[in-house]
Amino acid sequence: MELLGLSLALIGAALAAALSGIGSAIGIGIAGGSAAGVMTEDPDKFGSCLILQALPGTQGIYGLLIAFFVLNKLGLLGGAGAVALNWNQGLQIFAACLPIAIVGWISAIWQGRTSAASIQMISKKPEAMGKAIILPAMVETYAVLALLTSILMLMGIQVG
Amino acid sequence: MGVSKLKKAELYYHKSVNDQVAAVLQELGACQIIATDEIPDSNNKDFTKGFDVAEEHVAEIRYLIRTLTPHFDDPIPSLDRMLGERPEVTMNELENLAAQTDLKKLCEEVRNVERETGEVKTGLTQAKNNKDLLSNLAFFDFPLSVVTEGTKTVKGVVGTAKTELLDGLRGALGDFSKFAQDSELFLADFDNKKPPREIYAGLIYSAGLEREILEAAAKNGVSVVDVPQEFKLTPKEELEKLESVITEFEAREKDLSAKIKMLANNNMPAVQQLSDYYNSMAGRYQEMAHSYGTESAMLTKFWIPTSEVDKLNEKINALGTDLELVLSDPAEDDEPPTLLQNGGLVRPFNILTELYSPPTYKGIDPTPLLAPFFWLFFGMCLGDAGYAIVMAGVIWYVFRKYKKIPSGIKDFIKLFAFCSVSTFLYGVVSGSFFGNFIDSFATFLVPLKNSLMLVDPMSNPMQVLGISLLLGVIHLMFGLLIAAYDKLRSGEIIDAIGNDLSWFMLIVGLCLLGTAMNGMLPEHFFDIGRAMAILGAVIIFIYAGKGKPGIINKIISGFLALYGSTSYLGDILSYSRLLALGFGSAVIGMVINLLGGLAGDIPYIGWLIGIVVIVGGHIFSILINILGAFVHPLRLQYVEFFGKFYSGGGKSFAPLRLSQEYVNVKA
Repeated sequence: MELLGLSLALIGAALAAALSGIGSAIGIGIAGGSAAGVMTEDPDKFGSCLILQALPGTQGIYGLLIAFFVLNKLGLLGGAGAVALNWNQGLQIFAACLPIAIVGWISAIWQGRTSAASIQMISKKPEAMGKAIILPAMVETYAVLALLTSILMLMGIQVG
Repeated sequence: MGVSKLKKAELYYHKSVNDQVAAVLQELGACQIIATDEIPDSNNKDFTKGFDVAEEHVAEIRYLIRTLTPHFDDPIPSLDRMLGERPEVTMNELENLAAQTDLKKLCEEVRNVERETGEVKTGLTQAKNNKDLLSNLAFFDFPLSVVTEGTKTVKGVVGTAKTELLDGLRGALGDFSKFAQDSELFLADFDNKKPPREIYAGLIYSAGLEREILEAAAKNGVSVVDVPQEFKLTPKEELEKLESVITEFEAREKDLSAKIKMLANNNMPAVQQLSDYYNSMAGRYQEMAHSYGTESAMLTKFWIPTSEVDKLNEKINALGTDLELVLSDPAEDDEPPTLLQNGGLVRPFNILTELYSPPTYKGIDPTPLLAPFFWLFFGMCLGDAGYAIVMAGVIWYVFRKYKKIPSGIKDFIKLFAFCSVSTFLYGVVSGSFFGNFIDSFATFLVPLKNSLMLVDPMSNPMQVLGISLLLGVIHLMFGLLIAAYDKLRSGEIIDAIGNDLSWFMLIVGLCLLGTAMNGMLPEHFFDIGRAMAILGAVIIFIYAGKGKPGIINKIISGFLALYGSTSYLGDILSYSRLLALGFGSAVIGMVINLLGGLAGDIPYIGWLIGIVVIVGGHIFSILINILGAFVHPLRLQYVEFFGKFYSGGGKSFAPLRLSQEYVNVKA
């Protein structure tokens, strides 16, 4: 039982990295399909398409960031040995991982769809690049807020 | 500063100087021809004809560039070309080149090579297919003429037979079948232990019994394969012949690709230059065709920035005395295009306004207003002194290596150069240098780092969150004040107070009230804040009811308007991204250093892996975080800030210019 806390915290870290990573993979995939379609017509758009395709990728990074944050907090990085954690603390860390895990996952998919639509937009109106970048960034706001929530929660939890 | 003043110009000239006038206007690069919906009348045929001719050449150029580019070893890498490393030519040189070059003939030549290459490719594919067939028929040691022609009495077919049906096939056509005397079956060798699904088979039979025998064969799993008519000898002999055909095709293919490569390398430099020439010509005549003409005189109307008028006059006077330039200010119902003109430090930020939508001619130019905020926000989002040094270093190298960068790209690079300064400053005050590089690997610098730190997002994020939100309030309130100013300027005093100043008072009042309550401000600010907030709320309440019939409606819309304060709450909280993104780049940097440090523990080669991880990781981190630090502050400008006062709606000034994709045209 004494390892339950550690396990819960690790499940949280795993979900943060995995779910938001899945979301980003799907989002980038959706945007990539759209980008490939546009580039068959106009290969010169590679640069702008790539930027738009990369936008839904940040959620995966946010998730990774939280996962590392948790591992660092648990003392699992750098060979210092894990800190002692009761199951309550473990559950708290688990809860702190949920915002970025869930919002990162779903927002990345929707951001991918918006990126795909934006890519279609610049295929017709290359001069609208500024607007095309802003639309997917509107979706990302919520991933940023979730990241912030996760970070603040993690910082508030006392371990060790 | 702001939107540059334009003059509406009407240029009257004699038809004999048509071309010179067109050239002058285009080479000045500062005149936007006023487009009419239709080409006004038929008296400007010179221009429409010129356009048709140029357009024809443009089509040829497009074909040549598309076809030859893949074969062309361009001596100038495309990045260099984009950054202005293009051959310098004069318009005269281009004209001479155009006169000397027979594009039609070149197109013809390229088309021929292309067609021949196509033929050779088809031939080669066919020959290779035949080669496969013939090598499969190697077991069938008869002249193929028996299959392709046959004799009066004997005919043959070749094809594939299903191995699982071979027994049946042998029973129907083999030595002991009823056709034993009239047919002979040949089968390719195969491995009995692992029989393939199908093997090649040949069949020779009496012509008289053709129908019956072929039917029996088909029933037992034989499908006939067509043999091309030209094969007469045995498969082995034909194969030898075919080998030489293939060698010949391959040699021709090699010749042709050498030929097209030579064509590309010999002609592409000229074609590229002509691309600019003919595109310039097509653009010139297309725009000039909007001129009005009579039998002998022409009139072209265009917009020109006031600052360029002198230059234009000088050039026009050089053309003779048959010209008359009439300048006037834009009339009330004109819709002049917008040319943003901001000096030195603000100029690179023009691009951010243009990305959104330029202001109308008479509107406010938001560029100088957003510039300091964008600069600061970018710095906070990237927020790393090390990354700033890398950015600045790369930009310094680019500016040192490329001296002729086109102004649009130069401004964009400068934007990042400016932002690297704010990034550096914020990195210093927040103690971030390649993440936590100093704490991890350069501990002797820790005292220096700590002495410069003003905020510490890592251990006290609430402090930075507070600063972020405060910046948000300042940014939004600034936006409201601009909106109020804009309305006051056009005399809408009541709207300015009801819509903008009231909210300003409410929100600033609430902030003062809150901070005074926390003891961060002296106590009397509490009362000031309360009074401002109440006054603001009352004005909002009353203003919202303006024009609504009946007291009930007035009250309802008043409360609805006050409910709009939630949107301000959302706007302000949106600035928490400044903390989150800055934090994000710091933590990513930290993770990279951590991984690098862990890799360093691997025996013998650890230091190498560590360096690779740290260098590669930070490069990745810089790229991904620059994207974030560009996009999110931009969003704060466009959505939160512009939402308060700016809607754009203008059209960018797009003067008639020379096309300079491949060359720089010298005056």
